Amino acid sequence: MGKILCATRGGEASYPTQDAVIALAKEQNDELAFLYVVDISFLNRTAAPLVVDVESRLEKLGQFQLVMAQERAASQGVASQTIVRRGHLQAELAATAKEIGATIIVLGGPLGPNAVFEEAALKTFAGKIEEETGIKTRII
Amino acid sequence: MKKFVLYGLIGIGIIGLIGGIWWLFAQPAGDGHGPSFFISTGIFLLVFAAISLRWMHETAAALLGAATVWLVHYVGGAFFPALHIINFEESMSFVDWNVIWLIMGMMIFMAMFSETGAINWVAFRAFRLANGNAWLLGIALFLLTALISAFLNNVTAILLLVPLSIQIAQTVGVHPFAYVIPEVLASNIGGAMTIIGDPPSTIVGSHLELSFVEYLANMAPIAILCMIPFLIVISWLYRHEFAGAKTEFSPALVSQLENDARITDAALLRKAGVVGLLMMIMFFTGDFFGGMPPAVIALSGAAILVAWVRPDMHRMLHEVDWTTLIFFIGIFVIVGGLEAAGVISWIAGNIGNLAGGSLTLATILMIWIPGIASGIVANIPFTVAALPIADFLTSTIPGAENIVLYWALILGADMGGNSTILGSAASIVAVGLLAQAGYRLSFGRFMRDGVPVVIVTLLTATIWLLIQY
Repeated sequence: MGKILCATRGGEASYPTQDAVIALAKEQNDELAFLYVVDISFLNRTAAPLVVDVESRLEKLGQFQLVMAQERAASQGVASQTIVRRGHLQAELAATAKEIGATIIVLGGPLGPNAVFEEAALKTFAGKIEEETGIKTRII
Repeated sequence: MKKFVLYGLIGIGIIGLIGGIWWLFAQPAGDGHGPSFFISTGIFLLVFAAISLRWMHETAAALLGAATVWLVHYVGGAFFPALHIINFEESMSFVDWNVIWLIMGMMIFMAMFSETGAINWVAFRAFRLANGNAWLLGIALFLLTALISAFLNNVTAILLLVPLSIQIAQTVGVHPFAYVIPEVLASNIGGAMTIIGDPPSTIVGSHLELSFVEYLANMAPIAILCMIPFLIVISWLYRHEFAGAKTEFSPALVSQLENDARITDAALLRKAGVVGLLMMIMFFTGDFFGGMPPAVIALSGAAILVAWVRPDMHRMLHEVDWTTLIFFIGIFVIVGGLEAAGVISWIAGNIGNLAGGSLTLATILMIWIPGIASGIVANIPFTVAALPIADFLTSTIPGAENIVLYWALILGADMGGNSTILGSAASIVAVGLLAQAGYRLSFGRFMRDGVPVVIVTLLTATIWLLIQY
């Protein structure tokens, strides 16, 4: 029995990936873990006063997104684990995958013009993750 | 469109710099527009473009611009006297320290208050009270955002409310844009209500040495009035979204939501509440105490809270966002260079000619030019640069002594930023927060809501100013 680690931000664009990874976990009888990474580097674009602890707030948002993913998996008969980390996606994804002993890493493919990532950038990113961890990384 | 305008600005900036250098050799000591005129204009436009096009962090651009002004003055001026723009001492006199201290005082207070979890608790109460009515819930969230923006500031309101609003939207089955975009718009309208709500309000209010009450008495009615057309437009734009919301919610999500909206530090909330109330009383009675500046009240409140709560001071000072303060100082220095070089008086003279001595026309120009510009370029440097123009027009146009042109400038700069994603810091931050939840808010999608709201709110504000003043 393997372990699938799926990085997700939540949102409608991630639902097809979540459904696919849930189906994969069911089919392979693998364990499933959803990962959300809090990255506040976007705040570095403005000189506005940023005095709120944004990381803590986004951590709560991330946990909420993962509860939604967990409910989605449960409704399809798959139990799942949720993990929220702070930092940069690549480093945190690689570290988490090693820590939990993941056998497959799954990333969501871009879905339409409103996707957060572009396809080419995501392929490069997946390649780097696979190279760094030695774990098979798939884009769904 | 935006890029076209900004590349135009860059072009003018470069032409200004080249023009300055050319003039330096052609007419080094002549009268009129000397090289310092063109060079200071070029520096300002390049900084403007760097900020608006996100070439670098806003603070880095402002700091670089200020340093360039001084370097040109001292290094260039040592060889060619015509390059004297403004010296260090003179440029410091252009920095409005009241603005700097006011922002710093409010930042310390906000940093501590935001730790209490009170705002999210209120938002969750609204969720409960709305009882499944997505429209009513939205109205409550928008009004709450406007109120927090008025008394803390608009970016803090967005940082505190948007993550929870995304969760609420997902719980009730409404697209997060339906709550988050109107919250951004409400924050910029609400920010105009008080002198501490939005940077253009603080800059103009401080320049005029207005008390909290003087500002509030003039701007709160119009900001509240502008909320009405805003709510009508938003209710219409999202009518299908609100009507299609869920009526039954997932217990797991509601439980998670409730957990995320707890009061996290009740003792701190009590202390911050008492100090906040005292600050409000002082803001309202500042006139009685010899016109105590809002900066003194904000700093006093922050000092009392720090002494009472006794937080780790290193952590506390780390939480003060120094980039904001350095950004403001840099912008004041760059605009000081423009004033010293005669650029501002030249622009003001031309706008005065355009207005032709008509207060009505000048009022319309002073609300709509910043209103349109704020959607395209950064509104803080724009406001700082526009202030001396408002000074000139107020002193030359008959009837303008009632400072209507300054009110017009505030309303245009605050509310005009609603038209595009780059018009205000609140929208930039909201875009990042939405992306963290997997929702990409595009430039065009934001404009779909922002442009109609800007049109109706600025029209309302224009009519109000023309009738009232």
